[in-house]
Amino acid sequence: MATFRKSLFLLLSVALVFALAACSGKKGGTEANDNSPQSTQGAAQTDAPKEKIELTFWTLGNNGYETLVDKWNADHPDIQVKVQNTGDQTAHHNNMLTAISAGSGAPDIFMLEIGFMEKFLAATDNFYNLNDLGAQDLKGNYLDWKWQQASSKDGSFQLGLPTDIGPTVLYYRQDLVQAAGLPADPAGLAAALDTWDKFAAAAKQYHEKTGKYFVDTTDLLHNALRDQSDGEIYLSKADGSFIGDTNPQVKKAFDYTVKAIQEGWVNPSPMWSPEWGQATNNGDFAVMPAPAWMSGVIKGNAPDTAGKWRITQLPEGAGNWGGSFLTIPKQSKHPKEAFAFISWMVSKENQMESFKTNQLFPSIPAIYDEQEFKDFVDPSGFYGDQKIAQEFAAAAQKVKPMYYGPQHDAIDAIFKNALRNVLEKKAEPAKEWDEAVKQAKEIVKRGG
Amino acid sequence: MSQTIVAANVGKPPKRPFWTERRRTASTAYLYISPFFILFLIFGVYPIFFTFYLSFFKWNAISPMKYVGFQNFALIFEDPTFWVSLMNTILMGIMGTVPQLIVALLLAVALNSAIVRFKNFFRIVYFLPNITSIVAVTLVFSVIFSNQGMANMLLDWLGVTTDVAWNSGWWGVKIAIAVMIFWRWTGYNAIIYLAGLQSISPELYEAAKIDGANSRDALFKITIPLLKPFILFTILTSTIGSLQLFTEPFVFLGTSGTGATRPEGITMVIYLYREAFTNSYFGTAAATAVVLFLFTIIFSLINLMITNRLGSSGSSLGGAK
Amino acid sequence: MNTVAVGEKPGFLQKTILYLILWLGAIMSAFPFYWMFVVGTNDRSAVFHIPPKLVWGNLLLTNMEKVIERILFFRSMYNSFILASLETVFVLFFCALAGFAFAKYEFPLKRSLFILVLGTLFVPQQLSLLPNYIIMAKLHWIDDFKAIIVPGMVNAFGIFWMRQYIEAAVSNDLIEAGRIDGCSHFRIFWRIILPIITPALSTLGIFTFMYVWNDFMWPLVVLKSQEHFTLQMTLRQLLYNRDGVDYGMVMAATFTATLPLLLVFLLFNRWFISGLTSGAVKA
Repeated sequence: MATFRKSLFLLLSVALVFALAACSGKKGGTEANDNSPQSTQGAAQTDAPKEKIELTFWTLGNNGYETLVDKWNADHPDIQVKVQNTGDQTAHHNNMLTAISAGSGAPDIFMLEIGFMEKFLAATDNFYNLNDLGAQDLKGNYLDWKWQQASSKDGSFQLGLPTDIGPTVLYYRQDLVQAAGLPADPAGLAAALDTWDKFAAAAKQYHEKTGKYFVDTTDLLHNALRDQSDGEIYLSKADGSFIGDTNPQVKKAFDYTVKAIQEGWVNPSPMWSPEWGQATNNGDFAVMPAPAWMSGVIKGNAPDTAGKWRITQLPEGAGNWGGSFLTIPKQSKHPKEAFAFISWMVSKENQMESFKTNQLFPSIPAIYDEQEFKDFVDPSGFYGDQKIAQEFAAAAQKVKPMYYGPQHDAIDAIFKNALRNVLEKKAEPAKEWDEAVKQAKEIVKRGG
Repeated sequence: MSQTIVAANVGKPPKRPFWTERRRTASTAYLYISPFFILFLIFGVYPIFFTFYLSFFKWNAISPMKYVGFQNFALIFEDPTFWVSLMNTILMGIMGTVPQLIVALLLAVALNSAIVRFKNFFRIVYFLPNITSIVAVTLVFSVIFSNQGMANMLLDWLGVTTDVAWNSGWWGVKIAIAVMIFWRWTGYNAIIYLAGLQSISPELYEAAKIDGANSRDALFKITIPLLKPFILFTILTSTIGSLQLFTEPFVFLGTSGTGATRPEGITMVIYLYREAFTNSYFGTAAATAVVLFLFTIIFSLINLMITNRLGSSGSSLGGAK
Repeated sequence: MNTVAVGEKPGFLQKTILYLILWLGAIMSAFPFYWMFVVGTNDRSAVFHIPPKLVWGNLLLTNMEKVIERILFFRSMYNSFILASLETVFVLFFCALAGFAFAKYEFPLKRSLFILVLGTLFVPQQLSLLPNYIIMAKLHWIDDFKAIIVPGMVNAFGIFWMRQYIEAAVSNDLIEAGRIDGCSHFRIFWRIILPIITPALSTLGIFTFMYVWNDFMWPLVVLKSQEHFTLQMTLRQLLYNRDGVDYGMVMAATFTATLPLLLVFLLFNRWFISGLTSGAVKA
């Protein structure tokens, strides 16, 4: 009994000492950038040594940027960049929002995903205008639609520099398509499926012949058509009002997906579910309309199907899903140095490097003409000997600028739910459509 | 706001204070509770006031705030999804909590009886669900409750039915989530009851036996009344916990967060979360929090009244006014 | 349901029923945990097996190698351990003190203050994130362990729990006796109260440790550098891969992350059973 109290007392004293120590000194963790070989070469610099600047860089997801940053740090002993990575994109952007509203705690460089762009574009006074720092001169290097995603409406304010993009293509299983009597080479298949009507007919035929599904999920099918809208989807670029009920492409995407469900050629498991991953590996479906970065997901989900996949173009154009920008929050005290760093990060060489290491698809059209890029074959042999970079590049150049609006995600989830109800509960499509429109208006109402 | 609770509180006659040097005692007591209130002032009161304040403003966390009066409340009360989320929260709370507390009590009493061996083993096993991280638990259950998963296979094998739509059916979703809550918290509450049972002195049972009481009498006349503070504790914490249900449906219905807003599984906190962090409407999110806060108080008071009717010894909240 | 009081001669039927209940409960509790182990020791496709795989494989180390390659697993485990231990010690001490005051002292505003304590439980954590972050930013505690430890040093749940227990388990006569012997207030708390409430302390200790160990929402907001991440934060990184979730890897990591908690629980378990003073007679 007494021993218990003694140990509690001891622990308490230790804890207090520890807490006090933690309150006084520096933070834990070692300052681990003094051991670069450059730091000994201070003598080579002229006169007084420059003040060392440390920049914090919030990155998102697995992008391999750490390796590039190490390279930068080795070459720039006086501008050291510290990477702080978050995996969850919602948390990542909310951290930035909270830092802005708190007025402190923001990094020097923030990686911004396109899905969250509108929120920050509405509050540009919290960021440096990169046009003032020299972004204007870089504009011509990048895809125009990509550049515009991070510009104010009149183009005077540039929030971020483009990193990667996610142009959508059609991934397909060559062997399955061939067995069902469809053309198996990318060009032939693209020609056979160049309209959504032809696509549906082929899908139906495939389903009747093999008894299997043609497309992987309702979600990706819906996305593919939705993203071919003309400049705006659910929300009006002019005044932010809800236009999903009048935009013909939104209705088309909805009706087309309903048709797929009713004709039975779309796989029922939801995207990202374990069953969806398993179905990919089993060959339960033949095609996947998805962005460039989905390549990694397919490889992870379907290791047994290596070598059987190919890539071709979607019917009636391409869309874009995902991709990021590097921005400089107003709280940074070193905008010049931060800009020097980000323009280096998204340079041609580094985008090429990120493509080779992490398949982040570049947003610099000049890269598409590089021989090295054109001849790129996935080293794992997953796509046989297909030069996949060319297919992605062809899609990337077809993408049109698109306005999403701040409530895009929430509204899209409502329509996706409606489709799920049609699929799983055999709900009446017309009723689900009306219900979804009603709910979406409810959400937009709050912004008014 | 605390005044209303005091007024509505059904008190018990006060216990005899064992101390009469009033002032010295009081200052000691204040000293003992001060750490909580100091931290509470900084990290508790401020957020609460901030939330109340915010519920009258339109704010997206980065633009300036705009005063809108009661408009945020009007907006959420007009929103059918809000009422769906309220109903879901209550339903899933009841489905997850009521059986859970009964089973927990049963397990604790069984575990506390003298004839059982391997007590420690059972205690550890019952506690396993609660030490597993909630995200991991939800992932495991997501696989069990997938459409071709173990749950459907089991039902099929029992010949009940096959193909329950666990992630989109009105009841399917609720049952799956209620099962997760039940699984996660039953052992925890059993451990709490066990601590309570161990605080009851064995001599009481001895005395009751001499008076000719049988074991059922012992359960209803001694065990349950003396456990009352613990039962009250678990009911209150479960009520609060289930009204703030978030992670299970959130992870179960889609890690990306979009599936989490499915009408079958949306809870009040998910609704709040979506308002704040998906749509950046911090005003309506704050209004939701205020409503949730009031509901929690009302439900807790209802619970207190019901519990106060159970048994008659022990003390409830407070004592003398 | 006929339960058994202490000292009664159990019948065979009673015993059977009792064990049946206990074993059913045990199987129910352990199965998902066991299955986590099964999935964690097999390759990524084991989850989808029809019928489900119920036997563990031998890939735990292989899976763990993959985990360590991706995340700072052991570093974050150490962080979680330090945070959870410190927090537990503070919580036990301060909550026991405050619980004691609420249970056994009379002072003005006692009820209102206690209800205020309970009131804090009703505030959804999800909305306190923003204002609390603002406070932490003002204190310059972002990316600092203080941001995790200080706000949680004493909590309403713990005070409530301690008060309930002290009320039930400590008789006024004991305190009275201490007073007559001339003990100071704190001495009574330290010498008389603490020994009696050991089971409650160990329960609260385990809960607190667990809570800090498993919490991810708040750390995700205030901790920024990889080397400060808690275990749950790094585990979540495994879920956000762009190459499909490898359940084998995730479950192996989760299982390994749960083991320390199990160890803590086993260590503290001794205190559960001890500490029942036989002299705690109800007044």
